[in-house]
Amino acid sequence: MNSLVALIRRELHALWNSPWQLALVSYIPVLSIICLWWLFSAGLPRQLPVAVVDSDHSQLSRMLTRKLQANPVVAPQNFVDLPSAVTAMKQSEVYGVVLLPYGLQRELMTGHSPVIDVRYNSQFLLVGKLLSSQIQLTLGSGLLEVAGVKQLLQGVPKSQVALHLSPVTSQTTALFNRNNNYVGFLVPPVLVALWQLLAMLIFSNSLSRELNPEGSYAADSGIWPRIWAKIAVFTPILLLHGGFILALLYQYLALPVAGSLALLILAQFVMLLAVWLMVLLVFFIMRDSARMVSFGTALFAPAFAFMGITFPVHEMPILAQWWRLIMPSSHYVDSHVSIVSYGVGWETIAQQLTSYWGFLCIIPVLFLLSRRIEKSMNTESNQQMLDPELMSKNSGADL
Amino acid sequence: MSFWQLVSAELKAIVADKAIAVTLFGGVLFYSVLYPLPYLHQVPTEQQLVVVDLDHSSLSRRLIRHADASAKISVIGQVTSISQAQSWIESGRAHGLLVIPEGFRRDLLLGKGVTLSYGGDASYFLIYSAVAEGLVTAGMDAGKQVQLLGMLAKGEAPKQADLSLNSVKINSVPAFNPSLGYTPYVVPGLFLLILHQTLLIGTGILGAGQWRRKGYWREISPLQLVCGRISAFMLIYLFFSSFYVGFCFYWYQVSVQASLSLVTLWMLPFLLATSAAGIALSCLFVRRDLPTQVLLLVSMPIMFVSGFVWPLALIPEPLIWLSQVVPAVPAIMGMLELNQMGASWSSVMPKWLQLWALFAMFFMLAWYGVTRRLESAVDETN
Repeated sequence: MNSLVALIRRELHALWNSPWQLALVSYIPVLSIICLWWLFSAGLPRQLPVAVVDSDHSQLSRMLTRKLQANPVVAPQNFVDLPSAVTAMKQSEVYGVVLLPYGLQRELMTGHSPVIDVRYNSQFLLVGKLLSSQIQLTLGSGLLEVAGVKQLLQGVPKSQVALHLSPVTSQTTALFNRNNNYVGFLVPPVLVALWQLLAMLIFSNSLSRELNPEGSYAADSGIWPRIWAKIAVFTPILLLHGGFILALLYQYLALPVAGSLALLILAQFVMLLAVWLMVLLVFFIMRDSARMVSFGTALFAPAFAFMGITFPVHEMPILAQWWRLIMPSSHYVDSHVSIVSYGVGWETIAQQLTSYWGFLCIIPVLFLLSRRIEKSMNTESNQQMLDPELMSKNSGADL
Repeated sequence: MSFWQLVSAELKAIVADKAIAVTLFGGVLFYSVLYPLPYLHQVPTEQQLVVVDLDHSSLSRRLIRHADASAKISVIGQVTSISQAQSWIESGRAHGLLVIPEGFRRDLLLGKGVTLSYGGDASYFLIYSAVAEGLVTAGMDAGKQVQLLGMLAKGEAPKQADLSLNSVKINSVPAFNPSLGYTPYVVPGLFLLILHQTLLIGTGILGAGQWRRKGYWREISPLQLVCGRISAFMLIYLFFSSFYVGFCFYWYQVSVQASLSLVTLWMLPFLLATSAAGIALSCLFVRRDLPTQVLLLVSMPIMFVSGFVWPLALIPEPLIWLSQVVPAVPAIMGMLELNQMGASWSSVMPKWLQLWALFAMFFMLAWYGVTRRLESAVDETN
């Protein structure tokens, strides 16, 4: 026990003396978390520029433009001719083009069926889809008013007009994220991905401090007590970062959360343990600081794409669904959504946590690898050093 | 040492360094498969929907069949109450629900209005929008069907009835990414970012490993070293860029609008500026494991600030100003405009000139940094 306390002290001392590691546990996470939140802080896409080309100059076309103006998502900008609007769209100055054709009002009144062309920029998928539905809805409701006037002219009683126009109305509800806020939807997974990267980097750095340039480590007291000390030091620190994320999102910004934050912290704790296991595996295989970081990066950098928040998991190819399971963050995000959106209790979370079982298979592999490394180091040192005292020490560590 | 000897020495140093070789050759290949992997099926289809049918009429069954026939929705079951449907959604069995109210058919035929309720799990946006789109279309179709029946019953001519139902057509068509696919949306920007980050990491590790040791880099002038290093990395990235912008764009069916010569002309200052920035950055490090860490942490912010995931119009101004010194930011937006949206060369010219200016700035910084590094190294050995 005393030795563990001494090892923890040694670890804290090393942390204090390494400026980069100290930065990683202090201001870098705070800065990057706030920076990423700031990026998305607008929350709801609003006032997106859309080009309106009004070739009709009629009462109707002006009414439709006003309707677009009234939609909070759309910021219509008048363009005189189509080519200039197209150029503006190609330069991504506007995200869509609405063409109100010449003779729109006349054709509508004379019983023809004119066409309003809408083009939206789907190279920016998120903005494009949103604008497409908003523009269609706005124009549709505007035209419905006109059709209502027509019905009145035909002698339909006023109380019946709305019914004639659309007998089936629909009420669409966004479940769990009521106002479709992107901060609530995008920012938590982005921050979890970042948090996972930070955990990987901090633990890798701390482990690679045990390595000498030849890629082996001092075996005198065994590597495992030192690993336990690192886990004891960095788990609380990383949980503090995780807690900061939760506090920022669900306390300070007051995003709605249905379940209990304590359960989320438990889920974060289990995720951290899984990250530690992955990093240890990389450590025992690579045993080189630069390569460890490169490999960890390759593993965890695409975590956000694989979480299944932006693109549904069941639509991913089977290989992607497997790869997804390698990353602890994907397991965590499932629990995160369940707690934040659905407000599930600990029974469901306990059941979800069993999905980590695959990571347990790493543990025997780690012991096997560490034994083999220590053995090969001992034989090396036996050959190199003939000092009998050192030899007995080394073989003692092996037992 | 002649210039070509220097370039070949640089290339040898790059290939011999395992960490750089893994990042450059392994990373570029690995990421070209891994990043687009989740999105290979492009468009979310057949989202699971649970139906609460309180009407049990011929029309409600028809509506359900319509919804099921929509490409975006697949009806996986019916339950008897809304709370039951909610528990299906919470357990992940379904992602949306449709409630058909009691008396749906009767009210419609009596000429009363009815309201259908849809719900989608908005914790997952793409799923939500797919469910909402599919259901709104199915609901509108059902409504029109009823209207049409009513009009025909009143003795209107079918053609006239059809016309008055669809008096104005709104023809909404996606431009630039016609399939609305996810890979053509993500790949062009992301791949430029991967090229950018790996190039920075490669130059970073190479520099950080060299400054304190002896080698060919001590025997030449700093200016020569910077020029030689940029040339060596440009040679390697000539192949990587051809692979990404050429083969991968083709493989992932990214629509391409600009000519080969224009794309080449675009990539030139981007790669030059990035390698110069990499060399300048490498002067800040002496530990080989640090460049990867720093650049890894800034990757996500760079991706989001470059404007293809989240609209630039919504990003706070100070962040946009700050990001303008990162070569990837103007390069990604310019490339999207030029190659994916077919903008003319003259309209992307300002960004192209910005890349050249960045190259000039980072080249000076790299020259200055390398001079300082080599001077201090000489001092240490003395």
